[in-house]
Amino acid sequence: MDSLAALLEGFATALQPQYLLYALFGVFVGTAVGVLPGIGPAMTVALLLPLTYSLDPTGALILFAGIYYGGMYGGSTTSILLNTPGESASIVTALEGNRMAKAGRGAAALATAAIGSFVAGTIATVLLTFLAPGIAKLAVQLGPADYFALMVVAFLTVGALLGSSVPRGLVSLGLGLMLGLVGTEVLSGQQRYTFGVPSLADGIDVVLIAVGLFALGETLYVASRLRHGAVQIIPVTRGWRSWMTRSDWRRSWKPWLRGTAIGFPIGTIPAGGADVATFLSYASERKLAKGRAREQFGRGAIEGVAGPEAANNAAAAGVLVPLLTLGLPTTATAAIIISAFQSYGIRPGPLLFENQSGLVWALIASLYIGNVLLLVLNLPLVGMWVKVLRIPRPYLYAGILAFAGLGAYALHFNVFDTLTLLVVGVAGFLMRRYGYPVAPMVVGGILGPMAEEQLRKSMAISQGDLLYLVHSPFAIVAYSTMAVIVVTGIWLKRRRAKLEAAPKLVPTSAIQAIDEPTK
Amino acid sequence: MTAETPDPAGTPRPAGAGPRRPIGELAFAVVCALLGVGVIVGAGAIRVPPGSASVLGPRVFPYFVGALLLVAAVAVIVAIATGHRGQPDDGEDVDPNAKTDWRAVVLLVAVFCSQLVLIEFVGWPIAIAVVFAGAALTLGAKRWWVAVLVGLGLGLATQLLFGTWLGLSLPAGPLLDWIPIFNG
Repeated sequence: MDSLAALLEGFATALQPQYLLYALFGVFVGTAVGVLPGIGPAMTVALLLPLTYSLDPTGALILFAGIYYGGMYGGSTTSILLNTPGESASIVTALEGNRMAKAGRGAAALATAAIGSFVAGTIATVLLTFLAPGIAKLAVQLGPADYFALMVVAFLTVGALLGSSVPRGLVSLGLGLMLGLVGTEVLSGQQRYTFGVPSLADGIDVVLIAVGLFALGETLYVASRLRHGAVQIIPVTRGWRSWMTRSDWRRSWKPWLRGTAIGFPIGTIPAGGADVATFLSYASERKLAKGRAREQFGRGAIEGVAGPEAANNAAAAGVLVPLLTLGLPTTATAAIIISAFQSYGIRPGPLLFENQSGLVWALIASLYIGNVLLLVLNLPLVGMWVKVLRIPRPYLYAGILAFAGLGAYALHFNVFDTLTLLVVGVAGFLMRRYGYPVAPMVVGGILGPMAEEQLRKSMAISQGDLLYLVHSPFAIVAYSTMAVIVVTGIWLKRRRAKLEAAPKLVPTSAIQAIDEPTK
Repeated sequence: MTAETPDPAGTPRPAGAGPRRPIGELAFAVVCALLGVGVIVGAGAIRVPPGSASVLGPRVFPYFVGALLLVAAVAVIVAIATGHRGQPDDGEDVDPNAKTDWRAVVLLVAVFCSQLVLIEFVGWPIAIAVVFAGAALTLGAKRWWVAVLVGLGLGLATQLLFGTWLGLSLPAGPLLDWIPIFNG
């Protein structure tokens, strides 16, 4: 096996003490920041980007992989332990995890999340290892028209599927595309929408869009409706040593595997990323549950934590497949990762496995390592994450603002970027307030210029014949798949809305009584 | 996050969901539509180099983007007019029943703006201290001196970590430049 040898070589790189340290540091910081309430994986990755600015590419990407996985995982701890009444419906893990914690079974919920993440992450990384080189080989043969087709698919699926309404998603996408237009255009060297400002001639960095929308926009939005008063955290009563009982294991392993099977494929296609995967896994676990487990759903069923958490991490690895092989970001987090690659002059895509094979395989190897580190770190450190959760909110959001400022200023050491960040941040605040999804804007900002380049290349080849865009079988398949994805996606969203309406809220005291016999 | 019309949790519409009449929401959509118009108009001003070999000039894609933005924004305006309001985002620290605190938003923007001037004149650590302390106090930090001290600590720590150790050129500012460790 070709890729096996390459992978071993990757391990040889990633296991060097200094890179191992980067991976450990990345996982640790990623989890710590990911645990902070209100900070999702995209914001974690965007905020921690400055850490990688002065490292060599390999070190930076390894650190980044750790941050990515850590940030993905950190969120589940938050949703399980943070007691925010009535508001957690949007985070699937919180549906059951939060109620398990209230019933005194927080340790079991955390453990099944951690172990499930590890199992799913490892299986998904194995799949990535064996699928990616093959896909890259196929992708080399794709022409500009095929790439354009892929990008149109990504635009429309991300724009139409994320968020509450299709037009709002498309407005968000359009705003991102608009920001992507600014700067010196590659093919003819013309300046567009720069208004004579020298700083705009280089374009607007996607990092600014991401940090502005996620860090600044989110902070402004939370500030506008901040929950005052003491932070309520559900105490984890039992130590992590007695986390899972035998029956917990028995009830968890199948959801882990099913979650992986659902999460990985959904991660690889541009269909809304981990959100959709976790929801699908939750829905299927609910449907498959029998007997007492079925009664427990909505009141703290362990299957409802194990499945979605596994799906979440499997999707995180799945997202890397189109990212590494095609250079196609399908989530906001992936868009930030691409821009990190670009800042090192590395262009993800089919040639990556040939030109930078050492780097890619070190990155993939570090994903395996990161997964192990996550498992080792997280169970014993739960107590520390709980302390992180208790950070008083004024200081937490003040800190996020400070780091957002750092991320913007450290790009070019120019306050103009800080100003751009502020403008994007205010836009992000308004978008959140009025129900626009922000992820399509980030994806549009990074994919827009790429799509334009491919479109113009194909038009140059075909001498302006628009039919060239659909001349290859691949492009035809891509466009028809898009139609299917968008239709099923909208159907899934309807179902999800119905499902979220379903679980009845029961008083916490009742949960305790029901759960007591589960030893 | 979810479908707009039937509230998924079955709870009554949160008080913080916006004003009774969707003026702000409409205004934002109108601004987006105007941005679309601006992109289309601006595209006409892009210089097309004479004798350019490429079939598709630098104007075509901007025209397309402007049109997308305009059409989508108009669709949103129509949706709002027919009662399909946007659902404000949920969040762990968001109180669904709180009224919008515009004062906090404006103050935070102002505090963040201070960096534009402060980073270059008094240096990174102090600029960060001001941002941190200002934001923390705006958001309701109880003791002002804790906010200031933590802010100063954060400023110095980031200066050391990112400026000195990782080699990013953050300006230490006139107050600290004489200390060798900050002057790397």
